[in-house]
Amino acid sequence: MTIALSRRGFAAALAAGAAGLAIGFRWQDATAQQAAPIGPAMLRANPRLDNWVRITPDGRITVLTGRVELGQGVLTAMRQIAAEELDVAPARLELLSGDTAETANEGVTAGSQSIRFGGEALGVACADARATLLGVAARAWGAEAAALTVEDGVILGAGGRRMTYAEAAGRVSLVRPADLAARRKPAAQQKVVGSSLPRTDIPAKVFGQQVFIHDLRPEGMLFGAVARPPGYAARLVALDMVWAKALPGVVEVVRDGSFLGVIARREEQANDAARRIVAAATWQDGAPLFGGKGVFEHLTTAPALTTTIHTTEAGAAQPARTHRAEYRRGFQAHASIGASCALAKWEDGRLTVWSHAQGPFPLRGDLSRGLRVAAEAVRVIHVQGAGCYGHNGADDVALDAALLARAVPGRPVRVHWTHAEEMVWEPWGSAMVVKLEAGLGADGGLTSWGHDVWSFPHSTRPGDRVGCNLRSAWYLADPVPASPIVDGALPNGAAARNAVPIYTVPGQKVTTHFHAAMPVRTSALRTLGGYFNAVAAEMFIDECASLAGIDPVAYRLRHLSDPRLVAVLQRAVAISGWQPEPVVMGRGRGQGGLLIGTGLGMTKYKNSDSHVAVVARVAVDVATGVVRVQKMWAATEAGRAVNPDGIANQIEGGMVQATSWTLMEEGRWDAQRMLSEDYASYPIIDFSHTPPIESVLIDRPDLPSLGVGEGSQGPAGAAIANAILAATGRRVADLPFTPERVLAALRG
Amino acid sequence: MLRLTVNGRATEVDVDPSTPLIYVLRNDLALNGPKLGCGRAQCGACTVLVDGHAARSCQVKVGDIAGAHAVTTLEGLGTPEAPHALQAAFIAEQAAQCGYCTSGMIMQAAALLAERRGALSEETVREALDHNLCRCGTQPRILRAVMRASRQQGA
Repeated sequence: MTIALSRRGFAAALAAGAAGLAIGFRWQDATAQQAAPIGPAMLRANPRLDNWVRITPDGRITVLTGRVELGQGVLTAMRQIAAEELDVAPARLELLSGDTAETANEGVTAGSQSIRFGGEALGVACADARATLLGVAARAWGAEAAALTVEDGVILGAGGRRMTYAEAAGRVSLVRPADLAARRKPAAQQKVVGSSLPRTDIPAKVFGQQVFIHDLRPEGMLFGAVARPPGYAARLVALDMVWAKALPGVVEVVRDGSFLGVIARREEQANDAARRIVAAATWQDGAPLFGGKGVFEHLTTAPALTTTIHTTEAGAAQPARTHRAEYRRGFQAHASIGASCALAKWEDGRLTVWSHAQGPFPLRGDLSRGLRVAAEAVRVIHVQGAGCYGHNGADDVALDAALLARAVPGRPVRVHWTHAEEMVWEPWGSAMVVKLEAGLGADGGLTSWGHDVWSFPHSTRPGDRVGCNLRSAWYLADPVPASPIVDGALPNGAAARNAVPIYTVPGQKVTTHFHAAMPVRTSALRTLGGYFNAVAAEMFIDECASLAGIDPVAYRLRHLSDPRLVAVLQRAVAISGWQPEPVVMGRGRGQGGLLIGTGLGMTKYKNSDSHVAVVARVAVDVATGVVRVQKMWAATEAGRAVNPDGIANQIEGGMVQATSWTLMEEGRWDAQRMLSEDYASYPIIDFSHTPPIESVLIDRPDLPSLGVGEGSQGPAGAAIANAILAATGRRVADLPFTPERVLAALRG
Repeated sequence: MLRLTVNGRATEVDVDPSTPLIYVLRNDLALNGPKLGCGRAQCGACTVLVDGHAARSCQVKVGDIAGAHAVTTLEGLGTPEAPHALQAAFIAEQAAQCGYCTSGMIMQAAALLAERRGALSEETVREALDHNLCRCGTQPRILRAVMRASRQQGA
């Protein structure tokens, strides 16, 4: 490309990148907008108004968003934002989401960024559309636009004058660049935004209507399955293709290098055939994972890229003592209830893929490179899947379906991974080691703070412009390698997400030790490194508080200067009935055969988004080491709440999920692959272990909406960890806090 | 040909009797309610009622329920016009995030409500749903929804 980038265009591109538009950015759009430096980054990157809202003379109002529904309720919130700005009843809007042929390219729906960035862009676009239609009526009536009002899509003027949006839309073109300077309604005038509009997708889900990608059954559909190698590094040596093609129901067997798949008339036939083909094929094993070492030894001893990414000036106070601690977490899985699924259909060299991936546009790019076809020949349409909680197999299965469907042009092929396939072959959440070091002054106050994190990658999603991050592409006879891997930079970070302290301490230093090489493939699991960095840092500050002999709440307040964090802390403390009491190391708080403790954890997610404080009360069984969370309390503040109940659902759900991560979840592997392939070998939380939760929201209509979808995991995990510390007076430094580890700490 | 009764309607399917019921319900009968989850009876997403009892349709062979047995899926429980108390309660409590486990939760709870009339305690509901997994963390809302439905059914 030869277009010279102006400074302003480049700045717009950077802003779009920061807003979650990881790739697929079109430079010419940026340069076209150089005269308009204002407006939301996502709108500058996708400036066509009809990519956001379409109002046609037939009365239809379509709202478009590049963001996709993952079960987080984002389409309901987008509907609220659009309805608010357009002054149209929410139910009248048609919503289109995540279609590379229709919607804006908003990159990946991830990182708690949809409302903050995508919602702002949609709001401005809808405000533009409303102002334009109002202008039509004003001109027609010779009135001031400011004197007109709108009631459910009907413009009202003096003397009972009425003009529908449909009529106004017939007199003006809304197919044009958006007015980036359009003004959204002030918060005080908002009625739909800020209300708990019921989720628009729930009724269809409770009545068994067609919602999920798994429910699509186009005419002539065939079923595909992949015959996976026995290990990540294994390669296919030989297979009797004649025998394989004769298996029951099999229509076609596809072999390309070590990628091996089958197409059958029935789903169970495809799965059975794949199983038998795996067993019958001859495979060559690869090198053992981690060279046979443990993963924590690998992380701290194998070559890594060490970078100090954040420092602040040292303070004047000299430390009276130094505290150091190390914390470790194993691999954790997304473990979706529904495994990844995709549909693909080739027609005349063009490919259509239906996918529940988080980024339709990034997926399209990687599909085009993996399949060696032009991106313009590929259309990706988002359809809901089971909750993914980050980068699971959703993208990979799309390439699987496309590779298989290519063998049967004109026929749609559906591939629905098995749960075991998902667990073994999806990217896992990285194992991590965190070491903290702090100086404590004579008064117990913090005089310095160092945070070192050792980690594998937290984002290996599709979306770069070079390689293909879809797994099967690496197994082809002529493989398409993955894109180069880099760690996410601050301010939000990836491995170091939430490693920069929220506390006001001089002499801060954050260092990453990054392993781009990943024997077990890793990528984004909800919060990236944020959960574990926050858990470790919050455990550490409780240990510092204990050394200082000060109650954890009082100790935090002494080091907090962000009033929004202070507000959620005080609120969580108030609703939980926190009893101030310093934690004394080595002394448990016994009640019968149980040790009971209350702990606290808090973060500002990504150091830029929601403020969440969680208190947890746990009971530790002295005889078994079993930890039971008896109750959790949370206080959240995320600026203007678009949908308070949606926020509650995300915050409370995140607390339940984090309880599972913190107490139960760790992947196991052998020399070849992950072994944790079902809910027996990788258990997740059930009803009997789900704690009662009380959560409150502090709404701040005066402040912009902040991302909330990943806000509670770190604080919840930290609160449980600190409750165990308070209950037992012992450090348990390895997550998850299994009964064996807790028992070892009690006896240690 | 196997004769099946699903949601009160008799139907015939031409499949191997050893086929897991979930595939027949979803792919032959085009029912969306039962979801394929783990395929190992560990998650409960595929739960349906067989003669009123909750069953994991990934483990039931279609041949074993052919003939006189009655299968009920989410679609057979109620409709938007005439919702089952549980369906109404799940909407009222907004008891879902992604909703993939929802059908299994409702079917498991439907078996419980059919067995135990009247308002149920949280403990009873927790116990009955303990082998149904939700990864989004909506368990507190699901508990509230099932208790709400039990109260309404008892009323």
